[in-house]
Amino acid sequence: MNKWFKSGSPWIWLSAGGVSISLISVLGLLWLIASRGLSYFWPSDLYQFDITDQNGAKSVVIGEIYDREEIPVSQLAHLNLQLDPNQEVLERLLIKTGNRELVSLDFRWLLSNYITKTEKPKEIAVVERRTHGNFYGYIDSVVLDGKTVDQSELPKLLERVDAFQEQIDELQKSDIGAINYKLERLRLQKRKYQLDNELTPARQAEIDSETEILKQDYEKLEAELMGYREKVARDHIVMRAMDGQLVTVNFEHILKVTFNNQLNVFQKTGMFFSQIWGFLVEDPREANTEGGVFPAIFGTVLMVLLMTIIVSPFGVIAAIYLHEYAGKNALTKILRIAVINLAGVPSIVYGVFGLGFFVYMVGGSLDQLFYSENLPSPTFGTPGVLWSALTLAILTLPVVIVSTEEGLSRIPSAMRHGSLALGATKAETLWRIILPIASPAIMTGIILAIARAAGEVAPLMLVGVVKMAPNLPLDGNFPFLHLDRKFMHLGFHIYDVGFQSPNVEAARPLVFATALLLVTIIVALNMTAVSIRNKLRERYKMLEH
Amino acid sequence: MDKLQIGRHISGQFNEDLERVINNVMHMGGLVEKQLIDALAAVGQSDVNLAKQVLSNDYQINAYEVSIDDECTRIIAKRQPAAGDLRLIMAVVKTIADLERIGDEAEKIAKVALESFSSSQQDLLVNLDNLGRQVLEFLQASLDAFTRMDFETAIKIHQMDDKINREYEALMRQLMTYMMEDPRSIPQVMTVIWSARALERIGDRCQNICEYIIYFVKGKVVRHTTAEDMQNL
Amino acid sequence: MISITPKAQATGSETSFESKLDLTNLTPEQVALDINKLNLFYGKKQALNNISMSIPKGQVTAFIGPSGCGKSTLLRCINRMNDLVDDCHISGEINLHGNNIYNKHVDVAELRRKVGMVFQRPNPFPKTIYENVVYGLRIMGENNRRNLDEAVEKSLRSAALWNEVKDRLHESALGLSGGQQQRLVIARAIAIQPEVLLLDEPTSALDPISTLTIEELINDLKEQFTVVIVTHNMQQAARVSDQTAFMYMGDLIEYSDTNTLFTTPQKKKTEDYITGRYG
Repeated sequence: MNKWFKSGSPWIWLSAGGVSISLISVLGLLWLIASRGLSYFWPSDLYQFDITDQNGAKSVVIGEIYDREEIPVSQLAHLNLQLDPNQEVLERLLIKTGNRELVSLDFRWLLSNYITKTEKPKEIAVVERRTHGNFYGYIDSVVLDGKTVDQSELPKLLERVDAFQEQIDELQKSDIGAINYKLERLRLQKRKYQLDNELTPARQAEIDSETEILKQDYEKLEAELMGYREKVARDHIVMRAMDGQLVTVNFEHILKVTFNNQLNVFQKTGMFFSQIWGFLVEDPREANTEGGVFPAIFGTVLMVLLMTIIVSPFGVIAAIYLHEYAGKNALTKILRIAVINLAGVPSIVYGVFGLGFFVYMVGGSLDQLFYSENLPSPTFGTPGVLWSALTLAILTLPVVIVSTEEGLSRIPSAMRHGSLALGATKAETLWRIILPIASPAIMTGIILAIARAAGEVAPLMLVGVVKMAPNLPLDGNFPFLHLDRKFMHLGFHIYDVGFQSPNVEAARPLVFATALLLVTIIVALNMTAVSIRNKLRERYKMLEH
Repeated sequence: MDKLQIGRHISGQFNEDLERVINNVMHMGGLVEKQLIDALAAVGQSDVNLAKQVLSNDYQINAYEVSIDDECTRIIAKRQPAAGDLRLIMAVVKTIADLERIGDEAEKIAKVALESFSSSQQDLLVNLDNLGRQVLEFLQASLDAFTRMDFETAIKIHQMDDKINREYEALMRQLMTYMMEDPRSIPQVMTVIWSARALERIGDRCQNICEYIIYFVKGKVVRHTTAEDMQNL
Repeated sequence: MISITPKAQATGSETSFESKLDLTNLTPEQVALDINKLNLFYGKKQALNNISMSIPKGQVTAFIGPSGCGKSTLLRCINRMNDLVDDCHISGEINLHGNNIYNKHVDVAELRRKVGMVFQRPNPFPKTIYENVVYGLRIMGENNRRNLDEAVEKSLRSAALWNEVKDRLHESALGLSGGQQQRLVIARAIAIQPEVLLLDEPTSALDPISTLTIEELINDLKEQFTVVIVTHNMQQAARVSDQTAFMYMGDLIEYSDTNTLFTTPQKKKTEDYITGRYG
């Protein structure tokens, strides 16, 4: 035994054990998130349950099985159910029944011993709607312009509506949005002139005439929009719900009608991918519990990129000064320690700092100076994507500084001397030799910064993230990148959907799906940076000395 | 030996190599000296056996020369000696060449003893004996100086060659007279001339050895230098 | 014994076939560098004691001596690389063309263009071979493609590397062997046409064959440049240099022409060092 200890193999086992645990944790995490998240997109079977409760009342329930659990009978005692006393546990099912206009909750629990019959009728349809969630039931009739037509007409009618809907979206988002934006700018300009006492009658007239033209354009577009809306609202379908009630669903609200029980595996796979695609590119609906997360993806990536653009030059310049120019004295040492300690400050503290300094002080002053026409409503004096990026840049600055400095100190002095001996000045040596060789280390710092920044949520809640942003920070209106706008973020989205939504049960798979997406995006950002670093490393690799 | 400072090299192996070379040179010198003594004795006493012994012993000198030569080549190849060490090796290589030639000359002298001389011609040999003693003295002094690498002695004895040369010229004139007086003795006289010539050559070579000593100690090449220049070293 | 040298030369130590310079009495035209009473301190420790010597133009001068004797320090004084060392103080002067390089208004970068340096380990930059050679020229603002091409070919030819690399000028310099890298570094140094080339143990990291190539190269270089070389390898100093200076503990012990120093050194310390004796 003693010999075994001396041989060193216990340490090998110990270290291998450490590696295994980390590996298992990572894989387990990914597996959990992926399985829970991805199953959200798989079209599930639709069931019809015949139920007889303890009072003998019969009813029918239609829906998807969301969850199954075994509960001890003792927990159900307060319900005064007449149960088999020998039974210790009962199975109960969580069923998503939808049909929010008929019942208040999307979900209901069913005790399995009340279910008398379970069926999967092929005719059950699930109708995805823009509002009010899904509707489960049978299609009673399809009504085209007041006349009932055959159900086989449905796909054709849906296609027609889709085309109109697309045009409506287009109109609303780009054309009407642009006119609104221009009107707003005209209003602001006028206000600015007023504040500066420069509002001459000529200017007034000019602005008014422009406003008038825009308003006319707006009305034209509005009319066009209404026309499309009318066309869309022409048809409706009548659905029969589980309790036999007939419900009219207008095409205006329909996104998709699917007969899940009629799909084969390939069709289901196709649906699966189209659902994922929808999740990635669509806007959220129903208080974020339905639809996609595109604005959040966009916000996250844009904010991280902005942060990277801000933190890289500052971090690199600071590191260069600390390493190359600062005297090697106590002050430099204290500075370096301070920088390292900065990395240990809790992120929410940075959030508070960002709110106090950037938003209120800097942003407030900017508003006073440049956007006074907009006051009292703030432009930069309110949380926004710029302040978020700046706050995270300060948060990640130590990481970049430390790793850049590390890279600088690892460059053999022979390189410096070689350049200096050829008559280069210190600055020329830095720019032409040192920085290129240190670039992989700088990239490492940036990678770490990205990894840290993409995962931060807490400080962002103070300086720019919102539950629902009306506009992306990047659009077709000059100046295209609107740094003052608030934005959505995947991390905050997870928190919001998981804990703040009205329907936590419904949102749970969405939480996992979003988490998976966040992880994927961070990994993708990291991989991009890593591959850039590896390329640089290959290019500037030192010979082994 | 002290002056050589052989023992102070950081490389002990180098020290041993150099010491071995020097010892071998001394042995070789001793052998050459003995050969010359024997050859001179053989001539003086007309001892044929001793003369034959001298002839048969020459190979030992040749063997020493070859082995020391080898050793020096190896030292140069392996150690790349510089400065004093380099000069020592060069001095040794040249010295042994001269020593070997001295051995050859001794052989030539011994051959004289194999000739039969009439009693009237014995006084020729007396003169030869005189020259021989001086040359022997010179050789011994040179070897002694070499052993101690004694610069002063070397300069001093360097002059001895002049004396030998004068003696040799006197002997030559004497032998000429003999030949003119008695043409029948020419073959014997010629033999004596050869050995006298050999002794003179030995003197030259001893002088060379002195020059090598000077070269080793001072690093100056004193060949082809006048006596006055040498005094100024 | 037949003397083949004319009688006039064949006296004493004047038998040398090469003409020798009187190092203590050079004419101003013969001097490349004049070091005058140079003292150097690292903090409180004195590393060079009152060094005075004249380095002749167009010749190879070698500094030898045991580790820590100050030979590299002295070499680095000549292009002021010691400026990079903290608390290094220098007194005395080094004159290049009669101008003290330690004058206040001397542009150090300009000085280093005139006095090139090659280090112990090959230190090519992680760039292409071409970019390595033109580095100094680019620093000087030369960007004309044709001039650069010419300079590259000329320097590489001078450094005896052209034939080996002419087909891969635009590949990384790090792919070259150690000996090639060192020659590349020399090519890089001579591309800016310095007057003096300082070599700090240029072959200590190379194999014997590469070493010989570099030595051969040094011999060619002295046609155009004054070369000063520091080396640990005494045989190398003996082979490549015209003048040799022996330094010990920060003192210049002996400075004379190489032939004399390696056959008949005048100082016992020199003799002990070059014959490998205990000091």
